[in-house]
Amino acid sequence: MTQHHDPIQPFGGFGLGLREVHYDDFLAGPEEPGVPVDFVEVISENYMVEGGRQLRILEQVRERYPVILHGVSMSIGSAGGLDTDHLDKLKRLEQRIDPLWVSDHLCWTRTSAHNSHDLLPMPLTESALAAVCANIEQAQNLLGRAMLFENPSSYLTFPEDEMTEWDFMTEMTRRTGCYLLLDVNNIYVSARNHGFEAEDYLAGLPLERVRQIHLAGHDPATPERDIIIDTHDREVADGVWDLYAKAMAMLPQPVATMIERDEHIPPLAELITELDRARGIAKRALVPA
Amino acid sequence: MNGASDLKARQETFLRAILDEGAPLPEGWTNRQAAGMAVYRGNYRSALVGALENTFERTALYVGESAFKQASAHHAITHPPAGWTIDEVGAGFDATCEQLFANNPEVADLAWLEWSMLQVAIGPDVEPLGPQEFAAATGEFGDNEWMALRLEFQARSCGRIVETNLTGLWNALEDAAATERPDPRLAEPRGCLVWREGERPTFQLTEPEAVTAFTAMQEGATYGEVIVALAGNEPSPEQVQDAAMRAGALLGDWLKEGMIISLKA
Repeated sequence: MTQHHDPIQPFGGFGLGLREVHYDDFLAGPEEPGVPVDFVEVISENYMVEGGRQLRILEQVRERYPVILHGVSMSIGSAGGLDTDHLDKLKRLEQRIDPLWVSDHLCWTRTSAHNSHDLLPMPLTESALAAVCANIEQAQNLLGRAMLFENPSSYLTFPEDEMTEWDFMTEMTRRTGCYLLLDVNNIYVSARNHGFEAEDYLAGLPLERVRQIHLAGHDPATPERDIIIDTHDREVADGVWDLYAKAMAMLPQPVATMIERDEHIPPLAELITELDRARGIAKRALVPA
Repeated sequence: MNGASDLKARQETFLRAILDEGAPLPEGWTNRQAAGMAVYRGNYRSALVGALENTFERTALYVGESAFKQASAHHAITHPPAGWTIDEVGAGFDATCEQLFANNPEVADLAWLEWSMLQVAIGPDVEPLGPQEFAAATGEFGDNEWMALRLEFQARSCGRIVETNLTGLWNALEDAAATERPDPRLAEPRGCLVWREGERPTFQLTEPEAVTAFTAMQEGATYGEVIVALAGNEPSPEQVQDAAMRAGALLGDWLKEGMIISLKA
């Protein structure tokens, strides 16, 4: 049954993913200036444990910065329903951390037998939409709050697709009241891989439902592989920055922007510099031409 | 077939195609979709191998990059993960190593130790029972209460009989650049106990009977049953006395190390 949850208020900060190599930076003593971010985002599953150092560090970081819980294993598109053990542990973490919000991906990762630990693409059909919406409602009801779902990058589309991804997401937000985490790099990657216009994607979304943007690097196509891969292992590409500027100009409310880096993680100062570029673009987008 | 069962069947086919490169692709797929599937197959394998590399850093260093990649790929194929946390892919990797490195039992021992250290690190944070609290709780015990005593140990602490100089090997592999390695083989099998000191996972090589007694009590044996087991078959009064002394010493060690969290009724 659809329950109504409190709206997620717009928040226009700039943040980074909390990664182990940067723990010391985020936990520097009170005499230090602190990391110039408005929030940090963590991979929820890394902290869905019973105890230990990781969890203690997250709690200490939470005392200094707002935290967003971003999941990779909810498998919201699984036809077989959600994993209640995962949900229960997420709920426990959510209660412990009191995050700004909780997000996951529009994808599926597992069947009842196996888990791919990858963000697998949804067929864009009415039956898939129904399964996704039922799962979102279950998750939101259990958490007692509306969630954000992120558009994935994808490397194939299905012959049986009945709608565009943006139409799928629009209907998903309408039916469930969930919000959107717009991954601009993923739009760029999927647009190149599937031959649609990234601007059409943006224009087709209910932008008033967007609360956060992800920026990340990708591995370009090669002569041997005509597919762009979302890798989070390098700087944000120029084409993605351009698309980010367009998105920021189109959004009707402030949104949180964050840069993801999961491989080849550089010193924090480099990521802060990259985040400053996002701040500059966002600032210019707010100034009328 | 209705929409939901159709989606379920499609997802099962898709995942089968990721897990098994020989599995046929769904009907109607073009080269474009086959190329996309190749990316998902690559992602799956590299994620699992990467997770194993992260968990078993020392084992990887010990056997070398190429042998470890082969072992981890074999493990990923024979043990496709089912749980929501990717870390679970490391479960049973010591058994895989036992099979693949049959002439080098130290590889399985090392993999077991790395896995155990990771597991204990994420266990619940519970204050250990201190020697003084233990003394206060057992101060009025008579023989019957002592014999019926059961202990609750730190969650996820564990033990194993090993043939490997894990202390020497663990320290030698601390520095990835160091090339000097100790002889991994022990003259006699020893026990290895893994637990947590505060937030820090730790281990210790000890007498094999310490592991046997620890494991028995962890599985619910009483202190009296441990003394009986230590005394052996048809023991003399002196042997019973000796077994009681040894059990007492083990209990003292567990208390000192903070491995016990409570007494069980």
